[in-house]
Amino acid sequence: MSSPVTSDPATGEPDSTSTDRTITAGRPSALAAVLQACLPVVVALALGAVVLRVSGIDPFATYALMASNAFGTASGLAGTLTSATPLLFTGLATAVAFRAGIFSLGAEPAFVLGGLTAAWLAVVVKGPTPVVILVAALGAILVGVLYSWPAAWLRVRLGVDEVVSTLMLTFVATGIAAWVVNAFLLAPGSANSATAAIPVDLFKLMPPASLNIGFVVAVLLIVGYAVFLRWSPRGFELHHTGVNPRFSATQGVSTSRVIVAAMLTTGAIAGLGGAVHAMGVVGRFVSSGFSADYGFTGIAVALLARRSAMGIIPAAILFGAFSSAGTTIQLFDNIPLDIVDVLQGTVMIFAVATFSLDWLRRRRGAKEAP
Amino acid sequence: MSVVVSASLILMVPLLLAAMGGLVHRASGIVNIGLEGQMLIGALVGAVVSGATGNWAAGMLAGAISGAVSAWLMTLVITRLKANQIIVGLGFNILAAGVIGFVLAWQMGVSGTYRVPGLDRLPRYDIAWLDSIPVVGAVFNNKDLVFWLTLLLVPLLVWVLRSTRFGIRVRAAGDAEQAAASQGINILHIRERAGLIAGALAGLGGAYLSIAQVGLFNEDMTAGRGFIALAAFYFGRAKPVPTALACLVFAFFDALQVSFQSSSSISQLLTTLPYLSVLVALAITAYRDTIKQKKVASV
Repeated sequence: MSSPVTSDPATGEPDSTSTDRTITAGRPSALAAVLQACLPVVVALALGAVVLRVSGIDPFATYALMASNAFGTASGLAGTLTSATPLLFTGLATAVAFRAGIFSLGAEPAFVLGGLTAAWLAVVVKGPTPVVILVAALGAILVGVLYSWPAAWLRVRLGVDEVVSTLMLTFVATGIAAWVVNAFLLAPGSANSATAAIPVDLFKLMPPASLNIGFVVAVLLIVGYAVFLRWSPRGFELHHTGVNPRFSATQGVSTSRVIVAAMLTTGAIAGLGGAVHAMGVVGRFVSSGFSADYGFTGIAVALLARRSAMGIIPAAILFGAFSSAGTTIQLFDNIPLDIVDVLQGTVMIFAVATFSLDWLRRRRGAKEAP
Repeated sequence: MSVVVSASLILMVPLLLAAMGGLVHRASGIVNIGLEGQMLIGALVGAVVSGATGNWAAGMLAGAISGAVSAWLMTLVITRLKANQIIVGLGFNILAAGVIGFVLAWQMGVSGTYRVPGLDRLPRYDIAWLDSIPVVGAVFNNKDLVFWLTLLLVPLLVWVLRSTRFGIRVRAAGDAEQAAASQGINILHIRERAGLIAGALAGLGGAYLSIAQVGLFNEDMTAGRGFIALAAFYFGRAKPVPTALACLVFAFFDALQVSFQSSSSISQLLTTLPYLSVLVALAITAYRDTIKQKKVASV
């Protein structure tokens, strides 16, 4: 099976040109990197403005309102960070795989199955609250790891393209979750294919907002990942497996082992994210709409962060702000929440686009040549 | 049983259309993850135009055109801005669903379901002499024109890909990019044209859903069919006949699920079968390839 993906997943830049560019243009400065990351957001806001304008809504007033809703008040900020929490987990989960040069979409199924597992364990396990939470979280991590195993095995043993396998496994997970809920875990009298309400609650940071300790855990994980990448030999192996697997192999790195570890880590982190979402925000598992495509948005988060570990935090907060502010403008100004999908989808598309700087440069070069 | 088979033939049509479109795109070297969004766009535009003109054919045509244009734009981002095709496709689906949800809520004032006034449904025909044959009559009668045209599409694509200039260029762009480029073939153009075809067929499939099968538009009506179409052409290794057979099997699963719906939650597991079968097919193919490589290596 030949891989249909011909570009570095972490930056979306095609292999051949990305090496060219590092040679000719040198390392991009931090400012250039930030500007590069902002460009897709600008394009998205512009396209969103067109949709709003055509519908007779003032885009600038809407965006100003969204910004003040997302960041202007304490409760607004809490809402933004709450919405950002699942994306911190799925963004980090995806970024780890991307680092190994693996294009895993495995965060979404692990998030869903992790959430389901935690929602089940938190109801059936009896004991002190911290123990219940810990057991539920560990169960979710375990399921996330186990579910990532087939795609990882297929990839290193048979060379099956992980994009397709993880995409297919995403839909399989949705079906399994719906079946498990309806066949075994249905809450009595529930119309919405939901499990029973979870009796425990995660520690709230700003009550009554649902912002909880999960946010702190996610941020700590990201900081830990940044440290791991920079200081640990294993982080070095992860990085080099992604950059140049053949060279790493000649240096004695078992790239298969690194790839498997990265893919299982994706499942573990996303599974934990699902547990946090189930126990901290939703309070149960629902078979439709438990994950608002958090795994897929996590891909956009990882892409926006480019290759920076800490960049995952602002990227996730940006998407969190979109969805949290989108909910409030729908509630109070009747502007359809779907505008958030327009913004998110566009950011995703253009996060991987190479803007025409190269093209300009080439043109200039052609003109200067005799 | 013949009821289920007859139903699966109808359910197969949108799947087959989208899968054939995705197949052409895949053959040219692009995996079109956006089929789902292109179907959804075709379904809405097709339904609206069918309602506005009172003519189902105009609706189907509009669905195809809207799908083609949107897929072309998506392909341009991949070919001209060198963006990763998987991410662009996933983002495209989110964007398409967002724009459609926004338009429905803001312009039409409905959430989710839009009952298009005056929507002209696709008429179904009976072929009188088919009824005299026991099973065949029950299975193949009461079908519409697009069903029969879709069946013809499969041999047509076999011919186009095998024997026409365009088809050979499409395959060259996908299989041997460098060689094709060295022959002066503009690969990006070929892929963009393949994108037009993919979108047109996916849009047509979407319009078939709204105009022929259901008679209204719902924002969830594609229900992952774009991804099942993707599974089908992966399963069929981008060849028309195996892909069409995969579509038929997947549509049969779908029909079974519909007939099970009320009786048990097992039907939810049936939805996973197309995706599982792709995984199994990929694993078997990859296993065979590794065995082959080992043999070559030992020689």
